[in-house]
Amino acid sequence: MIRCFGRSYLLVALLALVQPAVPAATAVGELAPDFALPAATGGNVRLSEHRGEVVLLAFWSSHCSVCTAQLSLLGDLQTTYRSAGLVTLAVSVDDDMHRATRYAQAHPTRFPMLLDLRKGVSRAYGIERLPTTVLIDRRGRVRFLQSDDHGIDNSYVAQVRELLDDPL
Amino acid sequence: MRTAIRTWQRLAPVALALCLVTQWVRAAEPPAKPAAAPAAVAAPATAGAPEATPEAGAFAAAPAGDATGEGGTRALDEQIQDLKQQVVDLNKDLFVLEEELLFPANTQVAVFVSMDVGSFFGLDSVTLRVDNREVINYLYTPREVAALVKGGVQRLYVGNLKAGSHELVALFSGKGPNDRDYRRGASIKFEKGVGAKYLELKISDKARRQQPEFEIKDWE
Repeated sequence: MIRCFGRSYLLVALLALVQPAVPAATAVGELAPDFALPAATGGNVRLSEHRGEVVLLAFWSSHCSVCTAQLSLLGDLQTTYRSAGLVTLAVSVDDDMHRATRYAQAHPTRFPMLLDLRKGVSRAYGIERLPTTVLIDRRGRVRFLQSDDHGIDNSYVAQVRELLDDPL
Repeated sequence: MRTAIRTWQRLAPVALALCLVTQWVRAAEPPAKPAAAPAAVAAPATAGAPEATPEAGAFAAAPAGDATGEGGTRALDEQIQDLKQQVVDLNKDLFVLEEELLFPANTQVAVFVSMDVGSFFGLDSVTLRVDNREVINYLYTPREVAALVKGGVQRLYVGNLKAGSHELVALFSGKGPNDRDYRRGASIKFEKGVGAKYLELKISDKARRQQPEFEIKDWE
């Protein structure tokens, strides 16, 4: 009995050692993981090419009812602060590329709608619910991470302004 | 090993900051006392001279203090520059060390991408397979394509392979003539010897056929 228990304990310990390490999700203050994703309208976008600008990553899905309103508000925010150095990138976590593309075409925005079909980017940023927004400063560090459905309130705009005011 | 090197790279700026702070504290503390001490010793030696009041001492010390401050600042600047240079050198050494340890010359395989003209092909992505195993799938942004068209050469992949025969397959996708989706593959069988192996994926225009051409060159 004891021997059997010992063996199973050893097996569990070995399995724990063999188990591949899951990369930890990015926390606030860490460097934002770089990525390149195809846009729904064609072409590719790489995050590191926007170093020196404030980047707002908005994770969305065509299944998320709140996301439409949020994307629309983000469009207004992008229009207001684009000249100050704000770049908005919307990342779709849809499994179906065609559905995401159709959604993007039906809801045209002023920023690229990117397709994360392999879910590598959403895993790297630890996205657990939608909509989620990640604010990255000019040095490429994650400064704010919001998972809520309140849309854009004043505190949200204040965060964007704080990062825009922060010199490189 | 990579983690250790990255930790070093992260620690280097912290070490620099600590050194700077230490230097600054050292530079800020001592000048006042040594400047005052000789004045006090020298005063009794001058017979018949009026007594040096504290105010006069202060006025007399002021220009000397400025000169020391300027000199000290200059010295501190030089030290900061030296430290910065040391950090840059250290970073360079660590990078070389990382490359040498992770990809030793006897197993290293590097694949480069170059593009000539690019009128018949708009590059979107390249997928590399080595011995039927996907090693990289790289998406190109318009900026990167522009850099390649201007003559840039990109190191797409670097990895390790044991000596022997291997096969490399490259799948190119993008927009072909008349803006149509275009997907083409190229493959090469190569022998990996003792030294490092360098391969080049070359995309060029074939004007006669009005088509792009993809070839893989083995740099001997």
